[in-house]
Amino acid sequence: MRPILLSGHERALTQVKYNPDGDLIFSVSKDHVVCAWFSHNGERFGTYHGHQGALWTVDVDPTSTLLATGGADNTMRLWEVNTGELLSTWDFPTAVKRVEFSPDGRQLLCVTEKRSGHLGTVVVFDINPDPKAQQSKEHTLRIVCEDSKATVAGFSYLAEFIIVCHEDGSISQYDAKTGEKLFNTQAHEEDMLITDLQWAPDRTYFITACKDKTSKIVAADSLEVLKTFVTDTPLNSAAITPVKDYVILGGGQAAMDVTTTSARQGKFEARFYHKIFQEEIGRVRGHFGPLNYVAVHPDGTGYCSGGEDGYVRVHHFDKPYFDFMYEVERERAQELSNL
Amino acid sequence: MSRVAGRTDWAEEEDEDNLQLPQQTITKNKDGTETIVTYSIREDGKKIKTTRRIKKTTVKTIVNPRVAERKSLPKFGQEKGKPPGPQTDTTSVAENIVFRPVSGWKASNEDKGDDAKKKNALKDAKIKCRICSGDHWTTKCPFKDTMAPEGEGVPADMKDDGVAEQGALGGGGSSYVPPHLRGRSGAGEKMGGKYERDDLATLRVTNVSEFAEEQDLRDLFSRFGHVTRVFLAKDRETGRAKGFAFVSYADRSDAAKACEKMDGYGLHHLILRVEFAKKTN
Repeated sequence: MRPILLSGHERALTQVKYNPDGDLIFSVSKDHVVCAWFSHNGERFGTYHGHQGALWTVDVDPTSTLLATGGADNTMRLWEVNTGELLSTWDFPTAVKRVEFSPDGRQLLCVTEKRSGHLGTVVVFDINPDPKAQQSKEHTLRIVCEDSKATVAGFSYLAEFIIVCHEDGSISQYDAKTGEKLFNTQAHEEDMLITDLQWAPDRTYFITACKDKTSKIVAADSLEVLKTFVTDTPLNSAAITPVKDYVILGGGQAAMDVTTTSARQGKFEARFYHKIFQEEIGRVRGHFGPLNYVAVHPDGTGYCSGGEDGYVRVHHFDKPYFDFMYEVERERAQELSNL
Repeated sequence: MSRVAGRTDWAEEEDEDNLQLPQQTITKNKDGTETIVTYSIREDGKKIKTTRRIKKTTVKTIVNPRVAERKSLPKFGQEKGKPPGPQTDTTSVAENIVFRPVSGWKASNEDKGDDAKKKNALKDAKIKCRICSGDHWTTKCPFKDTMAPEGEGVPADMKDDGVAEQGALGGGGSSYVPPHLRGRSGAGEKMGGKYERDDLATLRVTNVSEFAEEQDLRDLFSRFGHVTRVFLAKDRETGRAKGFAFVSYADRSDAAKACEKMDGYGLHHLILRVEFAKKTN
């Protein structure tokens, strides 16, 4: 496996994302530029200019025509993927920490920071998928998080629920139509920030990453914790791999402690766990800083990670990755082939 | 090319002979390949003949039309106007990383020194006990004191295992030999061996039915001479035979006779395989 190193950013990466077709990677960092890359060879497709502050988040719609970004300049922006043109800007009183399209691409959710007298909110907008259309500036739904600020959020299957993860380690489920709070559960340790939420391909369950050094798979409708992956380092990101039943966890020592630790102690590795057996099966090293985000190719053929070191590393899995099976899995495969 | 185009008569051609290059020739070979011969002049004026043999294969892949469209779109932003293909300032290839998932992966595997690395390498190569074919080190085999390894027991290999094993226990590969073992060859591993046996007259019997009992084997094998010892490997939990046994004779010639006669003998539903046990160490 020879990773491709993408060095288009000058500061720490904050999020990297594949588009659903899998041919593009979008990356945002604390410098103010969004980059689009071809995933197969690492060629830069283009850059999107306009943001005035550090970028926190990026998401692309299901047809890869629209790109949404949010950042510390208190705006969320919508771009046309193929041309780099800025289509629309929404202003907020505080920074935008997370944006996500609904599964059909007609709704866009954004999580805003709690700061200077403003509570953390989750705001939903209707999106017209046509890049030429005027986008509505009025939100359709606004959820105010009074107890604990929201850190990440996402739409469940069919955009039925909005799942919101909080700063205090709890997860809540809201009705995506009415904004009514249906459930709240303390899935992670108390007062431990949940740093990431990523969906399984069918969006019936999701994986969280938390500063309490664990990652959990949670069912979207019942908020029941299905699996727990325990590590020895605070986690920044977690992803579920299609094809093979693995999860990839990324994390490492907090950025401020990095200079006092060596690359090895810093635990700046992508950790692979088996999704079913919850057991670690390997690590991939390479970054010089904590991993801020890991994203998996939608076809399960590779993954990329964005690090505090300012690099994106794109990995294409090779044969041992696909061949690895537990004894029981092998026996099962044998049985099936004998039928 | 301009020279060729501007040429008017053959006399000139004669003059330029040393500069004139033969045309490129393409010959189709029978096996579907093409041979292309081209000529060129090197900087120092020498003529170069280049022969290339190529095979053309058409690989068809179905591509998402959106993906195909994007590949031909012009670049934008900072990449505007740059030629297609990855740019060296933003894209590079990192050094190769070996990623091989293993069950029971431990963080300590990578953090230890050479000993651990060696152990790791051995682990990847799949641990197989040479005595009972279980998935543990030969030195950890519960039968190590009582049985000889099956197949080729290479002594050097055995030592390797020993070192790795000590590393795992944090012993740090000590070379200390207890006084009562000093002076013996191949010290250490045979410590506490219950039986002093003559390997020369020991037979290894494999493919034994799991319902076999030691007494069955003793009866069978004592036909050929005085049997000093019969060992049948049994599973600790189920108490059933593991499928192999060792039979020792007082006399080697008896053993040879038994080996010859019993190899291929049908016991219960299985056919026995009998051979001389290999020496341990």
